[in-house]
Amino acid sequence: MLSVTEGVETIRPPASADLVSSIQESIRRHARYSLGKAWSDLSSRELFNAVALSVRDRLVDRMLETEERYRRGLPKRINYLSIEFLIGQSLGNHLHNLGIRDAYRQALGQLGADLETVEECEEDAALGNGGLGRLAACFLDSFATLGIPACGYGINYEYGLFKQEIDSGYQKEKPDNWLAQSTPWEIPRPDDACLVPVYGRIEHGVDRAGAYNPMWMDWKVMVGTPHDMLISGYGGRTVNLLRLYAARSSRDFDMQIFNDGDYFKAVQQKIQSENISKVLYPSDAIVAGRELRLVQEYFLVACAIRDIVRGFEQHHESFRDFPAKVAIQLNDTHPSLAVAELMRILVDQKNLEWDEAWAITQATLGYTNHTLASEALEKWPVPLFESVLPRHLQIIYEINRRFLDRVSQAHPGDVERVRRMSIIEEATPKQVRMANLAMVGSHSINGVSRIHTELIKASLAPDFFQLFPERFNNKTNGITQRRWLLKANPAWADLISSTIGERWLTDLYQLRELESHAADAGFQAEFLRVKRSNKEKLARIIQDATRLKVDPDSLFDIQVKRMHAYKRQLLNVMHIIDEYLSLVEDGREPAVPRTYIFAGKAAPGYWLAKQIIKLIHNVGRVINNDARASQWIKVAFVPDYRVSLAEKIIPAADLSEQISTAGTEASGTGNMKLALNGAITIGTLDGANIEMLEEVGADNMFIFGLKTAELRAMREQKSYRPWEYYARNPRAKRVVDSFASNMFCSQEPDLFAWIFASVLDADDVYFHLADFIPYVEAQERAGRGFRDRNLWARMAILNVARMGKFSSDRTVAEYSREIWGVEGLTLLD
Amino acid sequence: MEIAIDKMEGIAVAAVPVDELDASNVGEFKRDIAPVLQANTRLVLDLSRLRFVDSSGLGAMLSCLRQLSAKSGDLKLCGMSKQVRGLFELVRMHRIFDIYGTKEEAVHAFSH
Repeated sequence: MLSVTEGVETIRPPASADLVSSIQESIRRHARYSLGKAWSDLSSRELFNAVALSVRDRLVDRMLETEERYRRGLPKRINYLSIEFLIGQSLGNHLHNLGIRDAYRQALGQLGADLETVEECEEDAALGNGGLGRLAACFLDSFATLGIPACGYGINYEYGLFKQEIDSGYQKEKPDNWLAQSTPWEIPRPDDACLVPVYGRIEHGVDRAGAYNPMWMDWKVMVGTPHDMLISGYGGRTVNLLRLYAARSSRDFDMQIFNDGDYFKAVQQKIQSENISKVLYPSDAIVAGRELRLVQEYFLVACAIRDIVRGFEQHHESFRDFPAKVAIQLNDTHPSLAVAELMRILVDQKNLEWDEAWAITQATLGYTNHTLASEALEKWPVPLFESVLPRHLQIIYEINRRFLDRVSQAHPGDVERVRRMSIIEEATPKQVRMANLAMVGSHSINGVSRIHTELIKASLAPDFFQLFPERFNNKTNGITQRRWLLKANPAWADLISSTIGERWLTDLYQLRELESHAADAGFQAEFLRVKRSNKEKLARIIQDATRLKVDPDSLFDIQVKRMHAYKRQLLNVMHIIDEYLSLVEDGREPAVPRTYIFAGKAAPGYWLAKQIIKLIHNVGRVINNDARASQWIKVAFVPDYRVSLAEKIIPAADLSEQISTAGTEASGTGNMKLALNGAITIGTLDGANIEMLEEVGADNMFIFGLKTAELRAMREQKSYRPWEYYARNPRAKRVVDSFASNMFCSQEPDLFAWIFASVLDADDVYFHLADFIPYVEAQERAGRGFRDRNLWARMAILNVARMGKFSSDRTVAEYSREIWGVEGLTLLD
Repeated sequence: MEIAIDKMEGIAVAAVPVDELDASNVGEFKRDIAPVLQANTRLVLDLSRLRFVDSSGLGAMLSCLRQLSAKSGDLKLCGMSKQVRGLFELVRMHRIFDIYGTKEEAVHAFSH
């Protein structure tokens, strides 16, 4: 059969009539017996559920086969603990991975339904904020594809990341109750529920042998109930689990209160217990420091470690074997209580001696750092910590005492060093430093791009690097090509496969073969046709969402990511204003018509980021309504950025904005997704941009701006004088002055005056004015480059061809080999 | 709460007569075990029926142990389910109690 997608023809084997028929039977059966509906009465949402349940049946079979394979081989199990998993939609992903997408399309077509329409009914599982959570989701896909025996552990938030609505340019948050209609993908496992104690006090005593025996008394208890999501690997041979825990109170009501006649108080207590998994904290870059968050983090860790230990004990006798059979990776500091919890279980419950328990804990745990930003490094006040986790605080004090003895022995008399390295910060009140706890308790500490890892060693944790350099290593992030190319951009995926075959799906380095086609005018034309089609689709989405009409022939200049000062959406806006004012005041036309497209959410409490959203809208309103600019510049903000929307925006990008201040972005993964979809990067030498530059070459990226070392020197020497850039360059001055005027806020005077003050402040830690002119120049190079579409297509194709390194398959293979030591244990028979 | 007392080899064996010992019934347990603690110095608590004990229930058992220890007696536990054993381990109380599988073993331990 010939499958035609957007004019690109690829040969696919026909789905057998038996398969199509069995799919139809399965969908009908679920509609009738799982949903209790007659076929003719099914709503769109119910049809999606019936389809998803039929796919789930197939996944369950593969999952049970996978588990049986693991049980026979007893391989080392990898456990990935993350407070976020940003999964997005699952149906399309599973259909691709199981190789049954065409069969489902045929089956549904014969039933009078359209597969794409059914897929669009799926709510995103938005159990994450941004990069950290999406990385975890990409890793799960790669684990299963590579046949790595891995399980993700997270929280089954009832409310995922808020939905973003825009009202007069301002972000409004609406709750995302994604579980309101239940999800067909989760399998509840009440029989595997576990008890989690919190709060209470320590009662000091002695045991029967006369040894000190602290007892954790007067705790409250929560129950963690796992819900399993099935994670398919490409090819369908392996289906692993993502185990998400929901909290509920230990009993339906506290019967004492109930018996006392206070029904409402009893209900309130029940609700409080269940609050633990109610809502995802809406920021991965700012620590809120709330008690609920600490309880949430402990809840995740306690449930996960109990489950891991239980699984180990089913097959193994001695905890000495634990590190050989179990690896636990901590995705940032949020799960770093695992250090104290594993020690507590080994010492208190399994009666191991401290030294042995400590050796096992360290050999088992690995820690991934995700940020250098001090505001994102978690600390908990000791009084709060003691009230929530009194026994864990005792254990942390003991870990710290022994650790600081080692530091003192290595550096006698260096009190300042001891103070810096202590897990307990001597502040008022004292604070528990979670990053220090994670570093002390793990055998591996990794950053997520090469420069980030070097900065961890040099700036964030130099004392720790000096003490145990062997623990530090780099694992540059990656993305799964199955979601971000095969699923997100089927026309481009088909064109690639019909040109070089399908091996890139499991070995992204195979894309190198596209290099020989980069200068081929026919291939370029096909690439440009696919891109044009993707841009048309995005143009329709923009028009539907914002009523703005944009031209698919214009350069689509795209910045999609969380709204944050360090990511410098403001710098992007400053360039737009410059281009606009150059056009309307100086009569200088841009090189090409452009559509500037933004999308991203701001944390609800992050005023500055929300102001930037408002600024984008206001600048857009002025420019989009100015007839002088209408054929040259459009500015669009697409609301409610999420995984499923990213899958539509990213394939339409010509230019990818990766313009964070050098030294601030740990890695970035949007940069990789955009480049893989044929966008050319305009960016700073930050995060993984640096490694992308090494791969694709300077001729194929638009790199600008000050480097990390230069900025560090300016900070140290206090030599940044933004007003000099302002005074020296009339274009910079004009842009900055526009914020002090009411050019973009005539209805709300002085709304953006703070930006004028902020970018002229020597304490602007993001150096907007230092990078402004180099950025404008890079943008002009990009604009000129886009004039020659064939040259542009060649550059874009070379970007794609050289993205092999940035597959999450490569990343998790490195983790496996270098941190977990599981090389050769995949795909056990 | 009706706590049945059995005598084996001269040792009192008290069976905790509930599935769950928690804040809702721990007061009753304390009241009804008090005369047993007064009348005996050596006691076995049979927990075979117990499926869940919260921190207040654990606190009550600790109090029983302390009362008997204060008059040079002792308390031994038997018949713990896996879940109850897990809760004792969670708070390290398994280190201060003598815990046996059956009441016969617990009684036997008093005489040896």
